[in-house]
Amino acid sequence: MKPLRLPTIQALRTALTAVTERTGASSAEIYVKAGGGVQVEIDPWRPAIASPATPADWRSHALHVEEKGWALRAGAEGGALFVAESGSLPAPGGWRGLNRHSLRPGSLRLPSPSRRKASMATARKHLPDGDAETLGRNLAHGILERTRSELAGSYLIRARLYDGASASVLANSEGVTGRTSLRLATVEMEFAVERNATRGSCSLYRAARDLRDFDAPTIAAEVADRLTLATAAPETVLPSGELAVSPAVASNLLALLSPVLRDRDGWETLQRLSSGYSLGPTDLTVLDDGALETGWIQTSVDDEGVPTRAVTLIREGEPGEPLLPWEDDGWSGFSATGCRRRSGWRAPPEISHSHLYIAPGPEPADQIRTGIRRGCYLLDRAPGGRLGATFGDSHGDAEATFEIDVTGFVIEHDRILGAIPRARLGGSIRQLLRGIRAVGDDVRFLPVPGAVGAPTLLLTGLQLEPV
Amino acid sequence: METTPTTPQSNALLASDVTELTDSLTRLLDHPGQRTEAFFERLETVELLPKGTHDRLRLRRERGVSVRRIEAGSSRLASADTISGHAFASCCDRVTGTAGSIGPPPRIRTGRWPPLRIAEIERAERQLARAVNRRRVGFPMDVTVRRHRRQVQVIHGHMSAPSQFEEYFSLHVETPWGVWGGLLPSLADEDLDPVATCLVDRLRSRNLPAHSNAPRVIVLGPCAAAVMLHEVVAHTLEADTLALTGAPESVVGLKLGKDDLDVIDDPRLAPDGCGRFSDDEGTTVIARWLLRGGRVRQPLADLCWAGRYQRLVPGAARRASRHVLPGPRTTHLELLPSDTPDAELFQEAAGGLYIGEFESGSLNPFDGGCVLRAPCARRLGTSGPVDFVGPVELRSRTVDLLAAVTAVGDRPLAAGAGWCAKDGALLPVWARSPSVRLEGLD
Repeated sequence: MKPLRLPTIQALRTALTAVTERTGASSAEIYVKAGGGVQVEIDPWRPAIASPATPADWRSHALHVEEKGWALRAGAEGGALFVAESGSLPAPGGWRGLNRHSLRPGSLRLPSPSRRKASMATARKHLPDGDAETLGRNLAHGILERTRSELAGSYLIRARLYDGASASVLANSEGVTGRTSLRLATVEMEFAVERNATRGSCSLYRAARDLRDFDAPTIAAEVADRLTLATAAPETVLPSGELAVSPAVASNLLALLSPVLRDRDGWETLQRLSSGYSLGPTDLTVLDDGALETGWIQTSVDDEGVPTRAVTLIREGEPGEPLLPWEDDGWSGFSATGCRRRSGWRAPPEISHSHLYIAPGPEPADQIRTGIRRGCYLLDRAPGGRLGATFGDSHGDAEATFEIDVTGFVIEHDRILGAIPRARLGGSIRQLLRGIRAVGDDVRFLPVPGAVGAPTLLLTGLQLEPV
Repeated sequence: METTPTTPQSNALLASDVTELTDSLTRLLDHPGQRTEAFFERLETVELLPKGTHDRLRLRRERGVSVRRIEAGSSRLASADTISGHAFASCCDRVTGTAGSIGPPPRIRTGRWPPLRIAEIERAERQLARAVNRRRVGFPMDVTVRRHRRQVQVIHGHMSAPSQFEEYFSLHVETPWGVWGGLLPSLADEDLDPVATCLVDRLRSRNLPAHSNAPRVIVLGPCAAAVMLHEVVAHTLEADTLALTGAPESVVGLKLGKDDLDVIDDPRLAPDGCGRFSDDEGTTVIARWLLRGGRVRQPLADLCWAGRYQRLVPGAARRASRHVLPGPRTTHLELLPSDTPDAELFQEAAGGLYIGEFESGSLNPFDGGCVLRAPCARRLGTSGPVDFVGPVELRSRTVDLLAAVTAVGDRPLAAGAGWCAKDGALLPVWARSPSVRLEGLD
């Protein structure tokens, strides 16, 4: 296994000295990231994917990727600079391209060392080796075989299985240093089936820390459920009194709310949404936790070197505290946390959630479904369907609304009465939160994107219409 | 399809002799059924954010290499984020799974890169504001300007395709009533002027309700026609899209539109600075008739798909970066003009709609369903476009949209340039199209 090589903190400090001397910058930060992985791709070439007897028979593509790059931010009175380049960090004498004219109008503020101590990164610091290719192929083959046995006639359209690792190191002129390392594996698959004279398809995107963490029978069962729905005769009238939504749908709904669950503007919108009343039931607690131990993107510091922690955004149905970056520490009495993430070495840090999730509630998920007298169980987003939210204007004149295209079942006490291949769930965001009648205990994280988790929820007062 | 070897030039990506590289690639071949290629890439993006942003100027530079071995429909690719003999050798080792697969690393020297000019980027916001003001309006705009430079060179077998260099610009303009984004071949006044027209149209149609009636006649301006063709012709005729529902070559000869519907993909004809003579696999590009006389002639294919289906011709491979596999994509789409004067497109069209631009489009590859969204449109009167209406969404199927084209104008314009985001890979696409008239859409 090839180790992920990064420069030492001392090398970064030497580079910072060289940069500040050449540009006249009073503050500067250098961030270096290395990573890579193995990706197995199966493209939609029918002869290649029709019926491989063994994973080795599969005509697939294997990508062995190694990435490395660095980013420099520097600033002085009235001037700033952001430069990112691929490859290794230049040697101390390699900054000759920079001079006092390199800073352009702008400004830069960087965090100072935090009093809170952050633990060092512990995740794997090696790139996946050739085993990942075999693992990926075996997993795809296992899912395909299982899906076929669950639903005759189903076939794979395309697949992308990735196993990767990355590590980063940063230092700034204020004395902040940080290291992170991550492991991430993802499975992206599309299946189709022709049943009842209808052709239906579905796609699935799942993430874990390691390809070995995926369970082929579980994924196959999920695929079979979705394909069955995609080819079922639709119910024309949908009861919308009580709606149980799966963790997949609930995660997508939570992701829609993410703009009001971060920074000062989001906090103000959240206040407007509650406007003197509770946002939701007392069972509703929403958190963001960059340091979540079981999370895929767990890091002790964010991408500016500020320590991460669990932030309770909604506490027992009431606004808790906003996700604030370090500059806003103390705003309205709230503490900041490490919440700036980079989408890669090319990107500057931006405020972003890490593990955003609804805390598990007291009610077992199956009890929520069996408790529905006549209603719907919404299983997932409909492929290629709508997903969006508007939060009105700053004066609160317009109602904040959302819509999401979903697929699911009409149920009566957990007994399936009919199928919903595609329907549009919508309404006001206020009602979405206040209409939560039960919070399940089965929290599940999905990459939607980022890591967003939710349990089964029982919702009322929303519109559900066939599309 | 093979390109000829070239003498290294000082501004080529690879300034050193490529013989060592071609020899190394030959050593990766275990048997004659295999082929190998090396893809070298240099990128530069200069980004100037709106005034008031902390660090307005952002500069990103990348260089890297990938090596790929293809065999009977399968491939192995290895990539690295630097250009050097060691990086190339490491890629070769990862492709073969053996250490020291090519012996000592070859020497690689890269050519010159153009100087960093940012004055033209800094001027763009003022130029755009002036273009808007010339229309006797003014409004607040947050303008982000980016200049993209990309140079690639592909070596395969014993040949090296010439180095290809592209330079273009992208604009992202935020106004109180929405966002406009698109690509421009340059920041000259004549390229910024159409952007100002779009922004002013959006100002005039702000707060108008969405248009929901299906009009009998819709006239698409060149920009809107180009986006429609990108979705319903280019994406539909990409070999990997076609393969989702059957054998890609089975569509050759299929009648999709009227006899005067001729659509070509020719990367050489893209605007100055953006044209390509070879694709991202080093194959010489051709003027590819996607539709001729309304019939499918030649779907878009890369080497992989052309190897699988004999009737497909490679030369349309594009990659978003060295870290991903190439795929068949359009580069520069052209709808050939007819001899119908543009004025005739508006005849007997009162009550219809004129759509100047679509801001987004999508295609469902399984059922051919297509959705095109316009931020605004204009109602057609007896003499042409009159008052503005709000957002319009066109939902139809590929075959129905093409069958609805009843007339093509006679004045083609460079139009509809933008980012194609298929499968999450952002690629610049260019087009040239006249206006078209659609009738009979539900």
